[in-house]
Amino acid sequence: MKKIYIVAILMIVAAIALLTTAADDMSTYATFAQASHSGGRVKIAGQLSKDKEMYYDPAEDPNYFSFYIKDTEGEERKVVLLSEKPQDFELSEQVVLTGQMKGEEFVATDLLMKCPSKYKDEEVYIKSEGK
Amino acid sequence: MQDIQYVGEHLLPGQVGQAAIVASFVASLFAGVSYFFATQRRDSSEYQAWRNMGRWGFLVHGLSVFTIIGVIFYLMVNQYYEYQYVQAHVSEDLPFKYIFSAFWEGQEGSFLLWMFWHVILGMVLMATARKWEAPTLTVLSFIQLFIASMLLGIYVGFGDSPARIGSNPLMLLREVVDAPIFAKADYAAQLTGSGLNPLLQNYWMTIHPPTLFLGFASTSIPFCYAIAGLWKKEHKAWLQPALRWALFSGAILGTGILMGGAWAYEALSFGGYWAWDPVENMSLVPWLILIAGIHTNLIARSTGHSVRSTYIYYLLTFVFIVYSTFLTRSGVLGDTSVHAFTEMGLEWQLVGFIVFSLLLSGILLGVRFRGIPSPQKEEATASKEFWMFIGTLVLLFSALIITASTSLPVYNKVAQYFNPGFEGHVITDPEPHYNKYQLWIAVFIGILSGLAQYLRYREVNFQKYASRFGLHTGIALVATAALTYLTTLWIDAKAWQFLVLLFCGIFTIVTNLDYLITFIRGNLKMAGSAFSHIGFGIMIVGILASGLNKRIISNNPFVMDGLIEGASREELARNILLFKNSPLIMGPYEVTYTNDTVDTFTRTFTVNYKRKDEKGNVVEEFDLHPNILYDKSFTKISASNPSTKRYWDRDIFTHIASLPQVEIDMDYRRQREDSLNYRVLEAPIGRPVELKDTVQLKNVDTSVVKTYILTVGRINRTPTHPDYKPEEGDIAIGATIKVERQDEDSIYMVNPVLVLRGQLLYSYPEQINELNAKVRLNEGIFDAVLSPETNLDYQPFTFKQGDKIEYKGYQIQFAGFNRNPEHPNYVPREDDIAVSAMISVLAPNGESYVAQPVYLIRDNRPFNLKDEIPGPGLHFRFTGIDPSTETIELQVAQSDKKTEAIPIELATNSLRSDYIVLEAIEFPGINLFWLGSTLMMIGLAVSMGRRIGQGVKV
Repeated sequence: MKKIYIVAILMIVAAIALLTTAADDMSTYATFAQASHSGGRVKIAGQLSKDKEMYYDPAEDPNYFSFYIKDTEGEERKVVLLSEKPQDFELSEQVVLTGQMKGEEFVATDLLMKCPSKYKDEEVYIKSEGK
Repeated sequence: MQDIQYVGEHLLPGQVGQAAIVASFVASLFAGVSYFFATQRRDSSEYQAWRNMGRWGFLVHGLSVFTIIGVIFYLMVNQYYEYQYVQAHVSEDLPFKYIFSAFWEGQEGSFLLWMFWHVILGMVLMATARKWEAPTLTVLSFIQLFIASMLLGIYVGFGDSPARIGSNPLMLLREVVDAPIFAKADYAAQLTGSGLNPLLQNYWMTIHPPTLFLGFASTSIPFCYAIAGLWKKEHKAWLQPALRWALFSGAILGTGILMGGAWAYEALSFGGYWAWDPVENMSLVPWLILIAGIHTNLIARSTGHSVRSTYIYYLLTFVFIVYSTFLTRSGVLGDTSVHAFTEMGLEWQLVGFIVFSLLLSGILLGVRFRGIPSPQKEEATASKEFWMFIGTLVLLFSALIITASTSLPVYNKVAQYFNPGFEGHVITDPEPHYNKYQLWIAVFIGILSGLAQYLRYREVNFQKYASRFGLHTGIALVATAALTYLTTLWIDAKAWQFLVLLFCGIFTIVTNLDYLITFIRGNLKMAGSAFSHIGFGIMIVGILASGLNKRIISNNPFVMDGLIEGASREELARNILLFKNSPLIMGPYEVTYTNDTVDTFTRTFTVNYKRKDEKGNVVEEFDLHPNILYDKSFTKISASNPSTKRYWDRDIFTHIASLPQVEIDMDYRRQREDSLNYRVLEAPIGRPVELKDTVQLKNVDTSVVKTYILTVGRINRTPTHPDYKPEEGDIAIGATIKVERQDEDSIYMVNPVLVLRGQLLYSYPEQINELNAKVRLNEGIFDAVLSPETNLDYQPFTFKQGDKIEYKGYQIQFAGFNRNPEHPNYVPREDDIAVSAMISVLAPNGESYVAQPVYLIRDNRPFNLKDEIPGPGLHFRFTGIDPSTETIELQVAQSDKKTEAIPIELATNSLRSDYIVLEAIEFPGINLFWLGSTLMMIGLAVSMGRRIGQGVKV
């Protein structure tokens, strides 16, 4: 057998081994119930509750921002993000969080926002009065 | 709406552009077909005719592409907002230098940029490729056909939902969106642009996309050559021109990717240069495969081995470029990437493009595979080609596992198509996931690119050579071990895996330096590969230094501890609160936020860093200037630009993470100001007054009483205040007020100002941040301080210089003239004749005062500006001069009431606003990353230069 084939076989074996370990790095989007149950680090996608309080007072703690989201099951929980309040946060509708449940709160270290399309409102492209 | 005759639209350029879009599509098809027949009939007499038709077709295609680009620029420069693409990417206030950035901000513009480079490269091929011209340009023309179809924007099919092909950049806004405004015939004049995203208003946005797209476009050329080689069964001849182009492409694409990293690091607040974002990954993957292709190409040219793998690599490179285009532009990445484009309905077209490139490559390769020459004899185990080939497999392996992880959203989409209930998988924490695997790739590459340099092509007698190989390897290992040890004194490797990687990185540097010096004896023409491999090694050391030893120095000491198990405090606390002028210790520095300035929409902060020795002497001091960009309404921050201090061995990176809400949103600030609970105090001058304030403690049912003591010092008729810009005719009053709070030791002096301008009152309060208090003047101060002119009973006096009179017990003397008078309400004009009288007053109680009323002739009319002495309430008007007797006429009056209590106001619920939220990160050794990666690109360029030099003689 050619040596190259041996190397190729070794690599395929390595690839299979890697794929099995890579499964640990993956998860599905969890709900709050699942996150509480597992207790581990998960990703949660949810709808931002705009009627609930968003709290960020840097004078008190610049690494504490709290807000509420509804998960895909409709359960609403308080979320604490351990960083500053991101710019344009109010405009986002859906957010994806990475973190874990701590008691009743979901403590997130990472956040990704999805903002609505630019062309949604007519006012975007009409000159404002008196300009 | 169809019936409306619109006015003010500029339809002609759009029609020209539309025609050019159709022409570019048709011409690329024509060129492709003509070149196809030219290739098929290369040896017949028809060749010339077909080739010339192909050339004309391609030139017309190129001209059309330039026309489309020109039209879009014309529309953008003239701000014709009736065009959707212009409206979406340009605005009135967009500086002209960003017009290019605005052009390729959108999908259509970036497709055009890609096509533009293909046209340029195609013309180079036309001029230089000779016998390869026809087959390579056939392929390139068909690639252009696919990209051109992305811009067509035509509907095919029947019924209610015809399929749309392409997204046309020249659509009118009214064709794209439906809004009431389009009922007006003159709507075009009322439109305004959305403009370029402020995050992209940056010089990187001007240079990164064209470089990256030239990189993308240039991968097509080795692909074209590979197809041409297979097609014409010239499995050897194509290798040489393809290598030159592959080296070119490798250098440009690599530079483009690096620029993206540099942009992310330098100008965006990502806090790093690489984040394994899908968009980044999918530009890296084709580059890795291309580099693998370059290596097998070298093997093939030297030994005749690996021709098949060279074909596969170059074909795959392009397939992955198309796949990458699909991933980033189809919207499939959705919520896994920060900077993917959004959906545009081009998914199926892009899938078609992938299928085309894959089928073309696969079928042609399959048909020709057996015919591709490959030596019967296997590579020797101790030969250079064997280990280089293994190296290319490692690169391919790396590319495939990155692709596998990045494509997760694609599997999810496919699985959901068959099983709608399928729950998509995501990678929880992408960065560690990728690092974990790529670490071992880098280890292998490090070892291979070191050892392979010592080996020779087509080794037949390794026995004879073994001792030399052993000697060099041995010395290199010892030197590497020593250097690795020295490096660990500087940076912490943290885990054994990283130590292994560090060793391998340094091994590459050492062996390639050795190769450069002893094997090729510093011959720079041959040094390309050594440069690239040394660069790779340095880059690895730089990644380990800056990534593993990255240190957030803006640790907040107040953050809750142990909130997440296993997470260190460092990970939790990224931001620190920095009050103006109060220094804080951050890492080795004493950091002070000293100043900020606003220039139109940009607010720049000055943050001072001092490093002190043990005795407290400042050994180093510098300022950093991070800034933020407000949006046009001053209600939010649209971009935060970092500022970095560069040392040769590390960087200090800072950016403004947040500001007090009142400093971000001016609407909120006004609201906040209105909600302040001001209480009025009547404060006689010089006598302290008290205000008791009850404060509810947070979360507790108790409250405390805080006592404020305010004392009005001096009343100032010519006050200054940072926000107050005096205008002529202003009546301004300022007061110096001393503020204390009983539980605090400090005394604060503030100078609030109140201004009456015409009928309007302008208040300039003063904030005392330490007390959360705000002080302003009550409008009653005008009655208290100023006496209405009508109540005054002026008495005229005539003075000679030096004369003294007595008035109600006051000694009043005219001391002399001042020909350059200064008066709060006097703004000098040319042709004014102005003079003031210097009046000195001695009060009965022995106090003395000075007044300076002004006499003024402006436009041949006399005016006078009164002056007053607030304490005793004396008023002076200088009403005339008699030059013959050298006397002046002065009117003097005293107000009947003495200045009584001054009404001032105090609010005790004003939030502090004198701070910034700062993130500061130290990146050690980051310059090694830039140096190493740049050296890799230089190495590729050097090799390319050498190959082009060789090519001339063929």
